[in-house]
Amino acid sequence: MGTVSALKPKNESPYPGVVEAPRYSCALGGAYMAALATFGAVPILHSGMGCGMAQNFGQNFAAGLNDAGPQGNTSTPCSCLVEEHAVFGGEDKLRNLIRTTLEVMRGDLFVVISGCVPALIGDDVAAVVKEFRDQAPIIHVNTAGFLGNSYKGYEQFFEAVIDQLLTVQPVVRKRVNLLGIVPYQHVFWKGNLQVIKTLLEQVGVEVNMIFTEDNGLEALRNIPSAELNVVFSPWSGVATARKLEEKFATPYLVFPSVPTGPKDSTTFVRKVAQRLKLPKRKVDAVIAHEEHRAYRFSEYMAAIATMALPHAYTGIVADAGTAIALTRYGSNELGWLPELVIITDNPPEEFHDEIVRNLTIGLDSVVKPEVHFEIDSHRIRLLLREHTLQLLLASSLEKYLAVDELNAMQVSVAFPVYDRLIVDRNYAGYRGGLALMEDVAYKYGGPL
Amino acid sequence: MAIDLKANTCPNREQRAGAINAYYGKATDLVQEARNGTLTNKERDFQQSSGCVLNFYLTTRVVTIRDAVMIVHAPVGCSSTSLLYREVYRRIPLSEGRPADFDLHWLTTNIDEKDVVFGGADKLRYAIKEAQERYSPKAIFILASCTSGIIGEDIEGVVADMQPEVQATIVPVHCEGIRSRIIQTAYDAFWHGVLKYLVKKPTKKQPDLVNIASMLSYTWQDRQEITRLLNRIGLRPNFIPEFATVEQFEIMGEAAVTAPICPTYTEYLSNGLEQEYGVPYFMYPSPVGIDHTDEWLRTIARYTGKEKEVEVLIKEEREKWLPKMEKIQEEFAKARPDGKKLEILGSLGQGRLLTQVPYFEEIGVTSPAAIIQDFDNLVLDEVEQIIDEAGDFDVLVNTFQAAELAHITRKYDPDVALTCPFQGSAYKRNKSSTRIHALRGDSRQWSAQAGYKGAIAYGNFLLQSLKNRAFQQTMLDKTPDTYKDWWYDQPDPLHYIKKEI
Repeated sequence: MGTVSALKPKNESPYPGVVEAPRYSCALGGAYMAALATFGAVPILHSGMGCGMAQNFGQNFAAGLNDAGPQGNTSTPCSCLVEEHAVFGGEDKLRNLIRTTLEVMRGDLFVVISGCVPALIGDDVAAVVKEFRDQAPIIHVNTAGFLGNSYKGYEQFFEAVIDQLLTVQPVVRKRVNLLGIVPYQHVFWKGNLQVIKTLLEQVGVEVNMIFTEDNGLEALRNIPSAELNVVFSPWSGVATARKLEEKFATPYLVFPSVPTGPKDSTTFVRKVAQRLKLPKRKVDAVIAHEEHRAYRFSEYMAAIATMALPHAYTGIVADAGTAIALTRYGSNELGWLPELVIITDNPPEEFHDEIVRNLTIGLDSVVKPEVHFEIDSHRIRLLLREHTLQLLLASSLEKYLAVDELNAMQVSVAFPVYDRLIVDRNYAGYRGGLALMEDVAYKYGGPL
Repeated sequence: MAIDLKANTCPNREQRAGAINAYYGKATDLVQEARNGTLTNKERDFQQSSGCVLNFYLTTRVVTIRDAVMIVHAPVGCSSTSLLYREVYRRIPLSEGRPADFDLHWLTTNIDEKDVVFGGADKLRYAIKEAQERYSPKAIFILASCTSGIIGEDIEGVVADMQPEVQATIVPVHCEGIRSRIIQTAYDAFWHGVLKYLVKKPTKKQPDLVNIASMLSYTWQDRQEITRLLNRIGLRPNFIPEFATVEQFEIMGEAAVTAPICPTYTEYLSNGLEQEYGVPYFMYPSPVGIDHTDEWLRTIARYTGKEKEVEVLIKEEREKWLPKMEKIQEEFAKARPDGKKLEILGSLGQGRLLTQVPYFEEIGVTSPAAIIQDFDNLVLDEVEQIIDEAGDFDVLVNTFQAAELAHITRKYDPDVALTCPFQGSAYKRNKSSTRIHALRGDSRQWSAQAGYKGAIAYGNFLLQSLKNRAFQQTMLDKTPDTYKDWWYDQPDPLHYIKKEI
């Protein structure tokens, strides 16, 4: 079955949702992963039996072979709805499940996430959850698989947090929240958050870490106390930032990606510094120090960069943020030629122009990428075949295609990634570009 | 019970075979209750996610059929497990026998908010046409979901409409997640579609062809070993469904016999092939362990007229492998300082219960209890045979309930606990733990379990687990437990079992 048909123009499809292997899961999946990323939170799925376990291979394992953590996968409480619940309702089952979960599971916050079945049969999940409000911190993410994808679920998790958990708080000067880094969909999410935090702390900013640190509940509660929300994606998390602005008047800054390499990292730090009115001398000193180190260390990769990958025609198949960061670093610091970018996270139309601008303006390379928004893995494959590429930064779905059909070298940098373990690895900040080169050269390097 | 291929789908395992997914007690009592028909399913007040009819892991099995397309008629998340499709098995080197032409495809209909109101039949029709146009497959499998079921999609109607328009054979699989508590219903639902739509009436017999339905948890090396053994006596395995071509399904009726690796996985198919096309089958034993591999080969030989050849093969193989087995037995015999038999707690499917317990006997270790996903009355004689061989043992029937698994592992405190990603925190302990089975597509010799080679590889693999406990001990020390202390202090892993349903 190596033969595939020619590419049809996109507008011919009457059902653009019917696609091969879109690179995300459902809204329940996204909300569930966000809950698991909040340390101390226990997700409770009100859904069919498989909705938790399916995400194990479809979300966290697909994001660099990750476990779901101590409350994930088969450890996640689930109402395991079957036909009789579809007929008679699942509220009793959920009530018992919440009660017993509070008894047996360790946790500070309980996040009830309702899926397709209760949405279709009309369970009053909110009412059941309300019965437990005086027993433990508990919220309800009112979602369903058919309401959208993982990115939607991430935003719905925050919607529930904002509506059900947050109250107005005094603003703490120079405190920020990091938004738009979607657990597992952004495969380097853990490392990215850590690097951004460390970088911002160096210039005197306090980061309220919602994910990956203890006291997740406290961090959630502290969200309204931030002076600024920073979104690290051209689109995902923007809805959350807007809602926080509406409700708590917190301003927000959208940086189109987690910055990779010194140039974009400096741009990022200066933007934050400007918004938070940070003392210039300190910011300059940090930038100078970090840049110096990053470039001094770049000397160590100069030979392999020049010998193995000079001016590589590069294709990128990734979510918008990752694509922007890697296109810019490759083009503006390594001398690569960004030939093709395919955006796979299905951003809403309203963000497309801004994404294209970020991918094509401000590049040192004479070659500017052809940008496509495409979720269909079959069409992505056909698009790739139309280009001559030497380096492909993509998902692991492209791993064998790159070798067999494109004669290009491929590194998995975007969801899904089934061919490498990503625990703390990341391409963020001043040193992130070096990490990228380490991974690229791992596959490319050889004796002189 | 006769299989009714006129029906759209199979009955659920609950109805067909009295299947349950919650029980804790003696194996003898379990069998007796199943025989009396007094075994009833119980609801849990505390339950954890455990896989459903669609997603344990029908999506990941069906997608590996090489010249087919899988369409998942569902919201986008139901097929996310299939994102592994372009990589699974691809690491297996061609030198190990992986075919080079290997390209898998699947589509989601991406059921959305509009579709749940207005129906998604048109989308499904479009997906079928698109699958045909894009990939020219030999078969198109349509997998149903909770949502397609609840909104009342007429999948059979769509299939009837569309079949004349496409060349591929359309195979609907009624695997709505909510249809059954028993994940093995998925297998039956899949085989029902295969038997009804795909298997062709045989025009000839292939007396050297042996159908073998292999599970995802058996490895590429296991296939290689089984192929080697069958080839030695002039037979050929027909491995389905994973990695098969559509033709391999079509010719199943021509085979001489259907042999088990996991009998309860295969039972519906084996039964159906016998009923429809007279292909005989057997359920026991499976080729795990030296003695059971002997018996498995002998049974196949009886159906294929290879009785003489098989005795030569068995003699040669035993000469080669027995000395290695004896070394393994010696090492296990002295593993415990108190001279007692080493205890291994395994968690397994119903099929593995029939393979692992006797294998443990063979290597000279013992099982304080067996943990199985679900239990039905399809293999009662076989379980009794095992009780005769190994003595009575405790059974926990439990579909991946991680809290119950953590509890029972601590309660029995075996020398070795066999775990997998579906067992949550049970691996964190002071004694040994290791995996039950390998990742899919793991083709290393190290990971073999079946046949003679697998018997030795697996024995050595288990021995390795006794030599260093650093990982599980460190994780036990350094990470908090998922459950509160009282959970472990009370005696019953099925503490939260409720009324009969």
